[in-house]
Amino acid sequence: MSAVRVLSFDTATDDTVVASVDGGRTAFEKVVSPGERPLHSQMLLQLAAEAVAAVGGWEELDLIAVGTGPGTFTGIRIAVATGAGLSASSGVPAVGVPTLDALARSIGARAGAERVMPLLDARRGEVFGGLHRGDGEPLEEPFAISPARLIERLAAESRTEGAPLVAGPGAVRFRDELLRAGLVTEPDGSPVHRLDGRSICELGAAAERTGPETLKPLYLRIPDAQLWLERDGKNIDPPPD
Amino acid sequence: MPLLAIETSCDDTCAAVLDGAQVLSNVISSQADHERYGGVVPEVASRHHLELAIPVLDAALAGADVDFDAIDGVAVTAGPGLIGALLVGLSTAKSIAAPRQLPLIPVDHLHGHVAANFLEPDPLEPPFLCLIASGGHTMLAAVGDHEGFEIVGETLDDAAGEAIDKAARMLGLGFPGGPELERLARSGDPEAFSFPVAMARDPGLDFSFSGLKTALVYICRDLGEEQTRDRAADLAAGFQAAVVDQLVTKLGRALDRGDWPAVALGGGVAANGPLREAVADLCQARGIRFKQVSRELCTDNAAMIGSAARFSRPIPYPDYLGFDAFATGPRGGR
Ligand SMILES: [Zn+2]
Repeated sequence: MSAVRVLSFDTATDDTVVASVDGGRTAFEKVVSPGERPLHSQMLLQLAAEAVAAVGGWEELDLIAVGTGPGTFTGIRIAVATGAGLSASSGVPAVGVPTLDALARSIGARAGAERVMPLLDARRGEVFGGLHRGDGEPLEEPFAISPARLIERLAAESRTEGAPLVAGPGAVRFRDELLRAGLVTEPDGSPVHRLDGRSICELGAAAERTGPETLKPLYLRIPDAQLWLERDGKNIDPPPD
Repeated sequence: MPLLAIETSCDDTCAAVLDGAQVLSNVISSQADHERYGGVVPEVASRHHLELAIPVLDAALAGADVDFDAIDGVAVTAGPGLIGALLVGLSTAKSIAAPRQLPLIPVDHLHGHVAANFLEPDPLEPPFLCLIASGGHTMLAAVGDHEGFEIVGETLDDAAGEAIDKAARMLGLGFPGGPELERLARSGDPEAFSFPVAMARDPGLDFSFSGLKTALVYICRDLGEEQTRDRAADLAAGFQAAVVDQLVTKLGRALDRGDWPAVALGGGVAANGPLREAVADLCQARGIRFKQVSRELCTDNAAMIGSAARFSRPIPYPDYLGFDAFATGPRGGR
């Protein structure tokens, strides 16, 4: 795959992350933090249009790389729907890039680490994460687990391969729990925790396959209603009025 | 001239292509999954919308025998509805429009139900009174022009279709309950049980269906499980008659208050046979026109959104890039 001009975006976290690259050069990069709520629906396409303009317009674009999660369900859907729509309309191929892979690559590049564990806040007292190489390559399936289980896993890692570098919004969220287990995380504002749009572009450009079938949302959780249905083995009652 | 329209406010993923008032294609992909849950689960619906959006859109283009190059505007439901579901349709619509610098036309879903009546063949011109009843909404709209409407009556609690779905569930029927309840009611006696004529004493034009639902709960409890099963047809007939009775009573009252030359029905409940008959009788008795759109245009669909878009304000590129959906909010289609 020899994509030169790549647009990338990710809205799986509360941030709206958009970038474009032209060869080795970063042509556009912006991260918009949430207001009271995430600003994905308001900001994503606005920034994407600017990022595309920065590489010469839609005709010049080779690839659209889309962060597919895990993260907030609505955020993931906004990114995937936008990527699919832009690709269908412009004819530029799109490719899905798992958000944890991109975050791992961001962390690896900024910290120079070879083994990293990117963490995202999964809400409900859990984290999304997974062990990766510093270039983003996943070394295991992504998981959604409690901080207690996470610490057990990290302790086991320390005994064998050595602890990976732990960073990302989930590490910030569970800083105290990690510290109790002896794991020090970088200060909150450190760039090491931030998903970098350039990493999404690079992983997208390196992907073996592109196309709509790669744009699969990575929810990592089934809807609650399905969970109840499967647990109770029967139809759930309609919600109370 | 073709316009592409997208609708994802509830559980149907819909796309259509229109040329003026002509519907070139109207694709509706219903999500059968909700039967398992006994209702629409927003997260489940939103996931389906994301999977179906592009295939449904491609099917609409293919059905109209056009490609993106022929499209010169994208209409989309901006609200009201399930926010997660709306965002899939809106994100898709905006990102289809943006690379081609097409205008985006956000549409109020309820304006869409009203505007279904403007479509060929045999369009209905305002003024008319429109009764919209579905699983999500129940209201009386005074339609004075193409651009919007005024709500003169609405439900104070459940929507009519929601009440019917819940009743169907109590009688052991599947979801959505409307068609099955209607079928069962055909062999029942609507007067075997007495249901309250809700809001009969209320002089206004608002609706209420929660009392009916409660009445059914008590009747079923008194009957016990076995009797409820044996008398299900009578219960369905009585319940359906009470819903239709309230809708038609309020419609008649609204007609008394104005000089309306025509009546139209919209929403999924408008497909109900006894309701159609009762409204037809009412209109005939008063010597006014009754406009019936086809079933595909009554239930949620994108052709009606395209129809409303013709009378809504287009937003030129790039002003809509930051446009957001609304779960509730602006009403009246303006
Ligand atoms: Zn509707």
